[in-house]
Amino acid sequence: MTSLSAIPTATGPATAHPSPAPGRRWRTWHSTRSLGQRLALALLALLAAFALAGPLVWPDHAVQDLSRFLETPSLAEPLGRDHLGRSVIARLAHATQLSLLLALLCVATALTAGAVAGIAAAWRGGWLDVALRGLSEALIAIPALLIVLIFSALADGALWTLYLGLALAQWVEYFRLVHARSALVLAGPAVEAAGLLGLGTVHIVRRHLWPELRPLLATMAAFGIGSSVLALSTLGFVGVGLKPPTPELGLMITEAFPFYSEAPWMSLAPVLVLAATLAGLLGLRSKETP
Amino acid sequence: MNLHVKDLTVTHRGRTLVDVPELELQPRRPVTIVGESGSGKSLLAHTIMGTLPPELTARGSLLIDGQVLDIADMANRRRLWGRTLALLPQEPVLALDPTMRVGGQVAEGFPGFPARRREARSAAGTLLKALGLGASAQAYPHTLSGGMAQRAAFAAATIGQASVLIADEPSKGLDVGARDELAALLGRHVEVGGILLTITHDLELARQLGGEVLVMRDATVVEHGPAGQVLAEPSHSYTQRLIAAEPSHWTYPWMDRTAPAAEAPRLVSGRGLAKSFGGRTLFSDLSVAVRAGERLAISGPSGCGKTTLGNILLRLTAPDVGQVSHAAELGVGRLQKLYQDPALAFPPRATLGDGFRDLLRRHRLDPARLDELLPALRLQPELLGRLPGQVSGGELQRLAVIRAMLLEPALLFADEPTSRLDLITQEETICALMEQVDRQDCALVLVTHDESLAHAVAGRRLQLGQDTSTSRLAKTPA
Repeated sequence: MTSLSAIPTATGPATAHPSPAPGRRWRTWHSTRSLGQRLALALLALLAAFALAGPLVWPDHAVQDLSRFLETPSLAEPLGRDHLGRSVIARLAHATQLSLLLALLCVATALTAGAVAGIAAAWRGGWLDVALRGLSEALIAIPALLIVLIFSALADGALWTLYLGLALAQWVEYFRLVHARSALVLAGPAVEAAGLLGLGTVHIVRRHLWPELRPLLATMAAFGIGSSVLALSTLGFVGVGLKPPTPELGLMITEAFPFYSEAPWMSLAPVLVLAATLAGLLGLRSKETP
Repeated sequence: MNLHVKDLTVTHRGRTLVDVPELELQPRRPVTIVGESGSGKSLLAHTIMGTLPPELTARGSLLIDGQVLDIADMANRRRLWGRTLALLPQEPVLALDPTMRVGGQVAEGFPGFPARRREARSAAGTLLKALGLGASAQAYPHTLSGGMAQRAAFAAATIGQASVLIADEPSKGLDVGARDELAALLGRHVEVGGILLTITHDLELARQLGGEVLVMRDATVVEHGPAGQVLAEPSHSYTQRLIAAEPSHWTYPWMDRTAPAAEAPRLVSGRGLAKSFGGRTLFSDLSVAVRAGERLAISGPSGCGKTTLGNILLRLTAPDVGQVSHAAELGVGRLQKLYQDPALAFPPRATLGDGFRDLLRRHRLDPARLDELLPALRLQPELLGRLPGQVSGGELQRLAVIRAMLLEPALLFADEPTSRLDLITQEETICALMEQVDRQDCALVLVTHDESLAHAVAGRRLQLGQDTSTSRLAKTPA
């Protein structure tokens, strides 16, 4: 789950430098970005570290100790214990890891499927184009959350249905963007010239399409991760997402609400993690991205 | 009234871009500034107008209508716009508002426009009618041809009755007929007592306008005098070179060439071709054949279907009627094309070197061929590290020539390859192209609206669009 820190590298050099050496890439990103983007990156790095190392430091998220019911924060338990006497920090670390991992997986799946389908439809045209566009329009007519709900209802909140539902709801956006942009690029004189020069598919994808699409996809992916994390916690919050006792951010907020007056930190901590994730992802986008 | 410029300089980070100590504009005496791109001639026009980008620093003074204005303050000319100073912009098609009808946007320039809307409307109508655009007052700009758009822009620029008209490259993208019309329009402005300053790299336009000609190079005026004298007997070496760069003055070994024998194999044969766009017939029942080693020029006014015909012959576009067959030797890569705007013919976000490496690898070509062609076309190898947008138009077109010639094509289709370049760059580019075509004995189909270029390059000519319904086939020996 190191890929979180890979997002900025994907956004970074796309606009300014098409293919600098990998080593230089980081430095280029660093020197051309604003203070806000660096802060956002630092915030995301912090969250990633928490999601990665947290579950190792506080492994027992399910151990109940009813005698320690709503224990206040201490040095050993920075966020205290919940109404069942479970460690809140351990649950938060596991929930953060789950949310970020699932969101990354969903976005990676949706992006790959959408981009491949978009390029294929724009390139081949004909029945493939008609079929894929029809499918995408049918999916866009249904609210994304409803698709996820239908899927999670199928298997009663199993993890894989949430993943599938979220990916299915999201690939349409990538498909439509990639399709529109690729159709424009593929119809241009540069691709016509490449065809006359006998340069193949690989050249056209690598030199013509990918450099045009990369900055757009990187920006969209950052937003997509944010909306996936939110969607997941929304489902947990309304009680149709993952089932207890799985630690999940939305679920944790719901469970902590009844004890808000006694232990406000319990509900504020997951809210803070959500807010930090979104702020970090939104702060990453670069202004010059077309 | 007259306009007097004194000690005008434009600098950018210490580099001088324009340095003109004195420039006097008087009524009835048009002044034309000629020179290559980058000589600072357009910047001079924009400095006088007060439309210089803020990164550039201008100094000097401007005496206009008896008052002295400081050139450094761009804002003080703003109140003169339309009433005293008017600019006829480059590429009128882009300068007109695409969302407004022609009549409406011309009327906006009328003095006291919003209050006197009705008078403005009728003045715009009268002006457009006088320019032969009476029927187009209700049309949107995208429906106009290049020449019509230029006349509409002229109407919009002059409706405010400004006495000083500055025309910045007004003939860019216009064919000969439209350029002659433009010269007549500008001439009329001078006849009625207006002041005219024209910036152009089109020497023919400068000849037609007459008056005084200034030749600019590297930020300074190197020669000036009456048009007839400067353009006929130039004294400065740069002016001499500029005039020698006109295609009608070229003498090169590759021009001296007999037409290929009639038994040379046919590479492309098109029979009974017809194409129309939106109800307008471009050509019909047209038969064209291109033989190995032949040089054919397709010429005609803009919008007559030259490029379309070329694309049909390359089988990039399908004709409405008729057939195009290619000889067997026109396999993959043996048919190449040069584009009017080379910047669009390269992937914009990949370095030129990456593109060439892909090409060499794909066709297993010897990289030494590229190393040998670059200096032959006077290009620095360092250019390959840049993106297409970071290279000048002339250099990029020469790189496109290399890219096409690396594959040793049997037929090269050049679609207005130099129409966006100035004269000297055009000569350089065409020479680079023709030397390669000559060496590889490749057939060439050149599309151009420049008759003299067509005459200099091609052994056989095909003229389109002589009248609107049918096209005439003119075969002239070289």
